[in-house]
Amino acid sequence: MREKEQHSDIEQELGKRTYWSFAWERFRKNRMALWSWRIFLMLLLVAVIGDFLANDKPLYCKIDGKRYFPVVQDYAVQAGWSKWDSKFLMTPWNEHTYQAVVWPLIPYASEGMDYKNTYTGPFHDQRVEGLRFRHWLGTDDLGRDVAAGMIAGTRTALMVGMVAMSIALVIGLFLGALAGYFGDDGLKLSRIRVVLNSLFLLLGVFWGWGSRSYALSEGNQISNFLLGLAILIGFLILANLLSNYLERFPSLGKRWVIPIDLLVMRLIEMVNAIPGLLLILAFVAAIQEESILFVMVLIGLLAWTGVARFVRAELLRIRRMEYIDAARALGFSQWKIIFRHALPNALGPVLIALSFGMAGAILLEAALSFLNIGVPEEQVTWGSLLREARNYPKAWWLTVVPGFAIFLSVTIFNYIGDGLTQALDPRLKE
Amino acid sequence: MTTYLLKRILWFIPTLIAISFLAFGLSKCTPGDPVMQACFPEDTPFNEDVFELEYRRCARSLGLDRPSFYFSLSSAAYPDTLYRIQQMARRTTLSKLIAQYGNWPEIEAYYQEMKIFKSTLSAVPDSLASYALTNIKADIRFLPLQYKDELVRRTLDSIAVQIQENALLAQRLEPAFNTLAQRYATIKSEATPARLYVPDFKWYGARNQYHYWFSRFIKGDFGISLQDRRPVSRKIWEALQWTLILNGLAIFFAYLIAIPVGVYAAVHQGKIFDRWSSAFLFFLYSLPNFWVATLLIIFFTNAEYGMDWFPAYGSGNLPDDAPFWSRFWEVAYHLILPVFCLTYASLAFISRQMRGSMLEVSQQLYMRTAKAKGLSARVVIWKHGFRNALFPIITLIANIFPRVLTGSVVIEWIFNIYGMGWLTIESIGQKDWPVVFSIMMLGAIVTLIGILVADILYAFVDPRVRYKK
Repeated sequence: MREKEQHSDIEQELGKRTYWSFAWERFRKNRMALWSWRIFLMLLLVAVIGDFLANDKPLYCKIDGKRYFPVVQDYAVQAGWSKWDSKFLMTPWNEHTYQAVVWPLIPYASEGMDYKNTYTGPFHDQRVEGLRFRHWLGTDDLGRDVAAGMIAGTRTALMVGMVAMSIALVIGLFLGALAGYFGDDGLKLSRIRVVLNSLFLLLGVFWGWGSRSYALSEGNQISNFLLGLAILIGFLILANLLSNYLERFPSLGKRWVIPIDLLVMRLIEMVNAIPGLLLILAFVAAIQEESILFVMVLIGLLAWTGVARFVRAELLRIRRMEYIDAARALGFSQWKIIFRHALPNALGPVLIALSFGMAGAILLEAALSFLNIGVPEEQVTWGSLLREARNYPKAWWLTVVPGFAIFLSVTIFNYIGDGLTQALDPRLKE
Repeated sequence: MTTYLLKRILWFIPTLIAISFLAFGLSKCTPGDPVMQACFPEDTPFNEDVFELEYRRCARSLGLDRPSFYFSLSSAAYPDTLYRIQQMARRTTLSKLIAQYGNWPEIEAYYQEMKIFKSTLSAVPDSLASYALTNIKADIRFLPLQYKDELVRRTLDSIAVQIQENALLAQRLEPAFNTLAQRYATIKSEATPARLYVPDFKWYGARNQYHYWFSRFIKGDFGISLQDRRPVSRKIWEALQWTLILNGLAIFFAYLIAIPVGVYAAVHQGKIFDRWSSAFLFFLYSLPNFWVATLLIIFFTNAEYGMDWFPAYGSGNLPDDAPFWSRFWEVAYHLILPVFCLTYASLAFISRQMRGSMLEVSQQLYMRTAKAKGLSARVVIWKHGFRNALFPIITLIANIFPRVLTGSVVIEWIFNIYGMGWLTIESIGQKDWPVVFSIMMLGAIVTLIGILVADILYAFVDPRVRYKK
């Protein structure tokens, strides 16, 4: 009895010490990487609770005996669940007479303009009511508070990085896994499946978007686009269900070898050959509609090659391991082996690619908004603040502060990537 | 070796073609009418009589009087001759009408009727009812651009009211107008939106816009700029010179400093120099160069902070007939800051690579052999180690090629140097798409060549590569 308990204790102890806990331990030893990780978490927190840190609405206020939580209410109003009292619509937030009020740390919104204080530096005399309303990091030419802009910029930068990298992750994992696991001669598909899939892909695109072009261009673009996507996916599912059935006929079920590794590697080479910045510049200018969403998607569509290369290299190694043979012998399906058994063990290097990719994406977004291309004019970002500095050289705070933020975020992701490389590199394992 | 080379070069072609599809597809999505941009600048007076002819001529000279591609895969509702309607705005309206109602014969009849009504209208003497006539003419000029039901009806109603108010006008125009209104009503009553869901494959052959564009691109004819009608290749050539100077200098200095630093750090691994230089280079590597450029411009080119040491913008503006050396110094003085900004970033990268590769080499057995033979440290490092450690640096050449073309976009923009990057951003601002997409294609080609050259060099220095397959 006691023996058994002891045994399970050891098991538990060993169970806790997974690959990831080993990696984490090694990662923690790298001081710069650890601090970078902490700063990242802090930036993430700032991005998430940004509305509560910098806002022109009070967190809490009491007017004529009624209590309000304007910042929270703002979310509800934007979602359409609630409406502002007319008095809030008529008078700016800072001109009410409050019985009690709690302002956020920075009582300004990033796009709110303070005409009395344009181009005021952190150390200048500011025309504000007391220390509470001081522009701690100065203002720009329209009197927009730089500190509030920095918080909004943090949100934009991290969002661009994370969304872009999520897209890159999905594409990169999928294609990299296929290329690495199957190689050039492992993927055998029946004729009918290849034919039906290509045919239904064309038809799905045609019926999903082509035939509905009027609704797409004139109606609600996003919902119509998603509907088209759903139609396309529906058709692809149909194609595969059909070919599951039709494969039974020997003439249709004859198998073709797809050199998937070659195809994916060519695709990677092609995407890498496209001058990324140029493509994004041209694309964003061509579609005219300025939205940060396009920037994110484009960066993601260009950045997946890094992830795919790492995953491919890992899977080339993993697919020869014994446990994969065992899984095959047990009769698991190919897809289950790839996504349940092989891929989770290839995730370590992917993290490295992701973290360097984050640095690249943030830098690219900053450069784009610095060039004033692709990011809407009214959206304050680190890059847009830095751009304004060029028009007014006296405003050193517009250069130093946002530039440092870009530098900091790029640095921490490079350090995290570096730390991960050291922590996960099998050659460095003791 | 030859087969390997041949294989690599052959792979080059499909990649290039795929990228050309991307560039061409994007250029087709751009807003604005290239013909209007190129031949009818905004300040030219509008002359309705010659406009149509002039437009056709211009479209032909730009090669836009053809179908876009070898084939099209669209719905059966679209006619295969839509591209023959030259004016982009009208073509767009018609295809939007088709996308709504799906019945081209009726839409075509409506379109023809519009022309008939227009000629009837121009036959009416101005003296008849000049005010109403002006209004009707304005409306009818608007009509071919409208596809939304509400707007078309409003325009038609407005014309109807104008006509009915004047008996003389009504007498002359009513029959033609009624047919026009009737035609529009038919479009709606006999709509066949189901036809939009019938796929149709149309073959156009080699006489198409893509073929025209790509075959001329290969020959080095990039078309004309929509902005000033100058050849794109001329504009690119002028810009390329500055970019080459800028990046050439930056790459030269970067290698000049990076290689000794990298080798020294690797040889004295773990010593103070190594630790500090590694940390410093990592720091440099993360420093966004457009921030550094802005900082330099703000602090070193303004009297504001008492350090007005460098010129802020441009590349010097001495006349061409100034003595060579004074022009040289003027340009050099202007290029110090931008070259610095470009140098430090690649410096950090190359040096880190050099250090890594040197470290790898120093663990090899032949290095130990060389030391054991009693060779001096200098010979071991430079002759045995460094030569072998250079191989990975060769692959960096693949990165350098495209950098020469498009690597300095932001820096050129900040320092107002009229290079490729500046030209790109300027052209995007002016919607001068032939320039933008030519640069994009060139960038891709140069990148591909870079990859190719790196591969070939690698195969030369490392025989294992060429015998593997």
